[in-house]
Amino acid sequence: METLPLTEPVLLMLLSLAERPRHGYSILKDVERISGGRVKLSTGTLYGALRRLLDDDWIERVEEDESPRDRRPYRLTPRGRRNLQLEVERMRHLTKLATLRVARKEA
Amino acid sequence: MLAFYRWLLYLYPSLYRREFADEMLLVFRDAHADASAAGFAERICFRVRETCGLLAGAVREHLHITRVSGPVISFTRFDMRPEFRFPRSTVFLMSLIFGGVILAMEKANTIMVKYAGGEGSIWPSLPWFLGFTVLFTFAGALAVRGILFALGRTGGQRLANIQTGPHRTE
Repeated sequence: METLPLTEPVLLMLLSLAERPRHGYSILKDVERISGGRVKLSTGTLYGALRRLLDDDWIERVEEDESPRDRRPYRLTPRGRRNLQLEVERMRHLTKLATLRVARKEA
Repeated sequence: MLAFYRWLLYLYPSLYRREFADEMLLVFRDAHADASAAGFAERICFRVRETCGLLAGAVREHLHITRVSGPVISFTRFDMRPEFRFPRSTVFLMSLIFGGVILAMEKANTIMVKYAGGEGSIWPSLPWFLGFTVLFTFAGALAVRGILFALGRTGGQRLANIQTGPHRTE
């Protein structure tokens, strides 16, 4: 079960899916790209996280007639998008707090 | 590497394999093609990452199934289906028979020592015998359980594979 705060790989995967629906390989490459090559997911890690996100109804499979069974894309559900927004909000608050504290220390 | 990867996928629970194995294989094939075009170090990193990721993932999925379907080993009589539930007296009778066998063996041992001129016992002492019996039974049960678990044939795994409602992807 995914809980907040999210781990970095899961957060990056959700951010990748927030843009548009993607299939597994596309998520893998996008996570690598948006993390600047720092986070490279293995397929085991990727699909373990996808399974948990599917179970928790954070993402869903896009059923398209033209997409083959092994190339079905995933997309965020409203619940997943809401949780991602909560996480981003939490991080924004943390960053703001950290910036204030660091600035106060320097002053 | 693809054959090795396919073989490693068998370490996952069968339900998980049915749902994701084809996709995983396809993604791995694409990622492998990318890594093959890169340098030697990148290829090695890719192989290590994939192998470790798969092994860790398989363990995680088995643990997940265990958590979902209850404890790994259940000895309680009430976990059995009513038609297979043995009568309560069976436990008492089996304990009685087991105790009788042990006592008979001890008696035979005493008689043998008495009439064989005290050459020593061919049987170990009772505590040792009981200890070995319990240990041997436990090890045997654990081995059988391990084999069944590896084959995905435990009751818990088979129950977990049963679809009880409409599938979420359909």
